[in-house]
Amino acid sequence: MLKIKNLNADIENKSILNNFNLEIKPGEVHAIMGPNGSGKSTLSNILSGKKGYDVSGEILFENKNIFELETEERAHKGIFLAFQYPLEIPGVNTNIFLKTSLNAIRKARGEKELDAIEFLKLVKLKAKELKFDEEKLNRQLNVGFSGGEKKKNEILQMSILNPKLSILDETDSGLDIDALKIVADGVNSLRKKDNSFLIITHYQRLLDYIKPDYVHVLMNGKIIKSGGPELALELEKKGYENFN
Amino acid sequence: MIDQLKIDFEKLLEKSNFSKKNIEIKRKNFENFIEKGFPNRREENWKFSDLNQIISKNIKNLSFYNDLSKPNKIDQSIFIHGLEHNKLVFVNGRIEKIEFDYEEKNKIELLDDLVLEKFNNTSNSLLFLNNAFVSKYFKLIVKKNYSLKKPLVIYNITNEDLVSKSINLKVDILLEENSSLKLIEFSNDKSITNFININYKFDLQKNSILKNYKIDNNSNSNVKYSFSNINQNSNSVSETFLLSSGSKFVKNEINCNLNGKYASAFVNGVFILDETKHHEIKTNINHLIENTKSYQLIKGVLEDTSKAVYQGKIFVDSKAQKTDGYQLSKAILLNDNTEFNAKPELEIYADDVKCSHGSASGSLNEDSIFYLMSRGLNYQEAKKLLINGFLLDVVEKITDSEIKNLVKNIMSLKQ
Repeated sequence: MLKIKNLNADIENKSILNNFNLEIKPGEVHAIMGPNGSGKSTLSNILSGKKGYDVSGEILFENKNIFELETEERAHKGIFLAFQYPLEIPGVNTNIFLKTSLNAIRKARGEKELDAIEFLKLVKLKAKELKFDEEKLNRQLNVGFSGGEKKKNEILQMSILNPKLSILDETDSGLDIDALKIVADGVNSLRKKDNSFLIITHYQRLLDYIKPDYVHVLMNGKIIKSGGPELALELEKKGYENFN
Repeated sequence: MIDQLKIDFEKLLEKSNFSKKNIEIKRKNFENFIEKGFPNRREENWKFSDLNQIISKNIKNLSFYNDLSKPNKIDQSIFIHGLEHNKLVFVNGRIEKIEFDYEEKNKIELLDDLVLEKFNNTSNSLLFLNNAFVSKYFKLIVKKNYSLKKPLVIYNITNEDLVSKSINLKVDILLEENSSLKLIEFSNDKSITNFININYKFDLQKNSILKNYKIDNNSNSNVKYSFSNINQNSNSVSETFLLSSGSKFVKNEINCNLNGKYASAFVNGVFILDETKHHEIKTNINHLIENTKSYQLIKGVLEDTSKAVYQGKIFVDSKAQKTDGYQLSKAILLNDNTEFNAKPELEIYADDVKCSHGSASGSLNEDSIFYLMSRGLNYQEAKKLLINGFLLDVVEKITDSEIKNLVKNIMSLKQ
């Protein structure tokens, strides 16, 4: 599904990722762990098409290079990024935003757009699954939401948009245990043979709830070690500094 | 220009039949205007908008006499649809229609044979110009305890026949005790490079309510000045909303005197400007007695090389204890060549008051755009959603839900 080959990324002449390689097959869950400043967020930004980086190498999504695609075109193809810091958008109603987003993606895929009633039915169901307070959906997007609510809102969007590849950028940070469980349940319920996940995190805590197929350790813009879930535990014990 | 002014003024007096008294007042006002001329940037009030320069740059051969002898055709398609309303229709400065079909006839009165004011205490030369050249001066009286059943729309329509003229209109509105009026001023201009000068006076007696919505939304090359003087008695409420967008230049000046206890004034406005448009909102809110309240919220979105100015003044007299005054202005500058000038002025002589002000401007947040695009919206859609969201809370301040919807439709803010 996703093949990253020799990816280099610089920002203002500072190298962030160098010769980064990764392959994710359909249905797989990959976790990338790394210390602050190792390039984790840059990776997720680049996968989503954020501007401002000098990049070279290749990113193939379903065997097509996506370098030239705009952010929204990548979303249409089924790439979803759950933000580390979801933005507050004043004056934009959450429900209306969700509907606009879903229909933009459905339209781009040549699917029928949902009308208000069909949409509300879907969103109610998903909100209930995630124990997301429905009343909040009538508020301005993320405005006045707690940290946990913002993260849950990301997972709600993910479950409504039903992407092929979901990138979770430190979705676990700032969550209490209950919220963490709900978020993990949300992710687990979306795990299907065609859906893949890239989970970016500092801690192995989230991986207690979402069992990854592969764990990669990212240091200084490069994957220095890959392995199974046991790698996360080893990392937790040793710390990044002593890890080789 | 002075020669043209003199010729046109004499022509006006010759062709109209003003009363002796009015001719005398007009002559006095005319002399005052000749002496002062159009305001320029040396006056503090006109620091950011040099009208003298704006007129000479944008209007060639401005003339002041406007032949009102022949009726103008009204383009009915301009009327607001889907909202039942009363009408006062001006076309090219001439009154063409007066229609109060929804109202009880003995509860309102419309006068047009009035003696002009003398304006002893103003230095505003545009009021002199207005008084000198206005041909019919209207006064609407809403009687005690009467609330108009439907809004009144004052249409200011100009068409292609009008070129490089100075148009002067004057309307007074008196709201007697416990009365109320919803007023929409709706402009539609197809004319070319005119100077349109409108003078409103509102007197709000006890417990009366004025809701005033000014909509200038279609692109045109006219230069406009609108002065509203609002006098408020106790417990009266004035609500003003400005959609400032269409004309080449607009200055809306609002002078509000809170003369009676518990009177309150709300001024909310939106600038949506592009190309070389230059708009200003200037307010003077005068708290003259205790327990009065004012609230102002102004937002702007500026594109190309447009410019917006907000000068908001809150004056609190030494008698005006327990004043509550608030103002905030914000602008999104869509490129580096736009300009937003905000000048908050607080002049406070009482010690037990609550007054605050703030202003901020900046560009669209690129991270927010990225967030929305990562959810499938393209750049233009994301930008529009952010801008509409930014402006929405000003429109939400409109307390009349029917008119709020109308304004949302006009601004394409419907979600």
